[in-house]
Amino acid sequence: MTQSTPSDYREASARSLRDTPSVRTSVGSATRTFDAHRVSAFSEVEYDRWKDWARDTKTHALTHLDTYLAQASAQLEARGVHVHWAETAEDALSVLDEVVERHGIKSAVKGKSMLTEELEVNAHLETLGVRPIETDLGEYIIQLLGEPPSHIVGPAIHKSLDDCRALFHDRLGTPLDADPDTLAAAARDALRAEFLAAGLGISGGNFLAADTGTIALIENEGNIRLATSVPDVHVAFVGIEKIVPRFEDLAGFLQITARSATGQAIGLFVSLIQGPRTPSEIDGPKEVHVVLVDNGRTRLLADDTAWEALRCVRCGACLNICPVYRQTGGHAYGWTYSGPLGAIISPGMLGLEKAMPLPHASSLCGACVDVCPVRIPIPDILLHWREKAVDAGLAPTGETFGSKAYAGLAERPASFAAANAALRWTPWRAAGRALPILKGWMQERSAPTPSKKSFRQMWKEGIE
Amino acid sequence: MSTKRDAILARIRDANSGRTPTDHPGDFGGWRGDAGPATPLQAFVSGFEGVGGEVVFVDSEVKASQWLADFAKPFTSVTIGEGVSSALRPDLPIALPRNAPLAISQARGAIAETGSLVMDARDGRRTQLLTPTHVVVLSPENIWETVRGALLTLADDLPAAIGLHSGPSKSADIGQVMVKGVHGPGRILALIIGCAPEKP
Repeated sequence: MTQSTPSDYREASARSLRDTPSVRTSVGSATRTFDAHRVSAFSEVEYDRWKDWARDTKTHALTHLDTYLAQASAQLEARGVHVHWAETAEDALSVLDEVVERHGIKSAVKGKSMLTEELEVNAHLETLGVRPIETDLGEYIIQLLGEPPSHIVGPAIHKSLDDCRALFHDRLGTPLDADPDTLAAAARDALRAEFLAAGLGISGGNFLAADTGTIALIENEGNIRLATSVPDVHVAFVGIEKIVPRFEDLAGFLQITARSATGQAIGLFVSLIQGPRTPSEIDGPKEVHVVLVDNGRTRLLADDTAWEALRCVRCGACLNICPVYRQTGGHAYGWTYSGPLGAIISPGMLGLEKAMPLPHASSLCGACVDVCPVRIPIPDILLHWREKAVDAGLAPTGETFGSKAYAGLAERPASFAAANAALRWTPWRAAGRALPILKGWMQERSAPTPSKKSFRQMWKEGIE
Repeated sequence: MSTKRDAILARIRDANSGRTPTDHPGDFGGWRGDAGPATPLQAFVSGFEGVGGEVVFVDSEVKASQWLADFAKPFTSVTIGEGVSSALRPDLPIALPRNAPLAISQARGAIAETGSLVMDARDGRRTQLLTPTHVVVLSPENIWETVRGALLTLADDLPAAIGLHSGPSKSADIGQVMVKGVHGPGRILALIIGCAPEKP
């Protein structure tokens, strides 16, 4: 599969709907299930109170980010962790070069991590002669297929059971009608051997507690616990925005993230990692590296509206509720982070020119802001990027032309009335399809027929 | 390295300049506000069983040893956590965690709020993770009401890693169908040495 970029969004989304209708079915079903679980999980708790707490704690952490990062780094080093600071993806990846060479690493087992997708860790490992093995079942499936994840929590939700049966039959020799338990057992056996053989375990980090230097990881399969416990070396890539001030704050974030993502009280396995094994421990990695990654995050932090997106805990609730995401799944967005989340962070992290037209991949319905556990004002940030795009001359030409034409007309009452009348009497369904600007828009939409009388006319005649 | 660190911290300070620093909102209590009628032990059992964990009550270490001897019969070997009392070891050959079908670990405690067992790295991480069946010994006096309460205590004595295990390993990544025992143990039992509580 060829990798698309955000600028391909219009074509990629149309292609997904036209060529792979099963993606829409699978994604729709999975996201509705995720969302139903979320609704049920929050019906039993004081959701509003804890959303406020989570928002305020993250905002506090971001406005003191320099202090907390320095504190976390000092704590980690005191526990014998090698701390690396990476301004770019290249900086982050170079940490692996030294580790791979010094330990003679041949294969690496990975826990699911969106940051390692963003950095393209797997491709880099291959250039070093290291075989990367994704161990989360969903990530394993898409790695076999050579595809990127399509959802930040369920990376393979765009694949149906039959897709998986065919894939496992081909690659692991399971029967074509195998049940999910048989398929999972085959993957478990294949991956268990990899866990025991790998010299390196790679993970991301859901949170980093500043006062103890603890890396917190949430999962359900146990593969992250294995990847961070069995190999002799563990490298964790952690975005600098993952900081929370205190170890005890993890109590709130572990629970609100699990309830928002899958409707669980907590992930079935949580790892709280402080460093390499101590003398009183019989196993666990002997060497731990933590790579603190910027790669565009400080650029996003510098934006006075969009910086609030850095509160994100990557639960995926905004993807699950989004009527636009549900149609195409994540691949159409052309970047690691898709859905409403991807649309608000990509312009800040990649630059607006590379991220367009993702801020337009939304109807601004606002469902996302209602489900966000850290109250990120997603529609406001989408509008902010659209305005910036107009200022920078990056908005779709039709929209820029339309806005300017409207502004011109609105300043001239006689012209405004004339244009108004013209629009009401134009056979615009036919005319619209002939126009380059409206053609694409009208292919997917219908609109009510305009009234024959204008509002101004009705006002003059007296509205009841 | 330090130059990159300095550059990142400088960019953060620059981005935050002109932004009013906000206060930490204070403590995260517990999800439900109050524990309700359930005792911490009752709440733990209900949460743990609710996601597929199994709970066994025995009223003494002798009974625990008898229960384990009986439970271990179908297994060919066992791996045992460092903190497990020698009185509890069943009469089975000891195997490496990677080869054993059964593990017995000692929990550092449990959390009522989320139905979680608190596993300490000093007990042995491979034993906690590699076998298909995992029996975890738990003393009922070591049950915290909330995750926050547990973390506050744990912070005073942190090993290299803590694991919170809240049920059998699961995944719904294959066609959104739930399967058990994907990587971690597919069967997990809390063996609680103490009196069974009444149902709340």
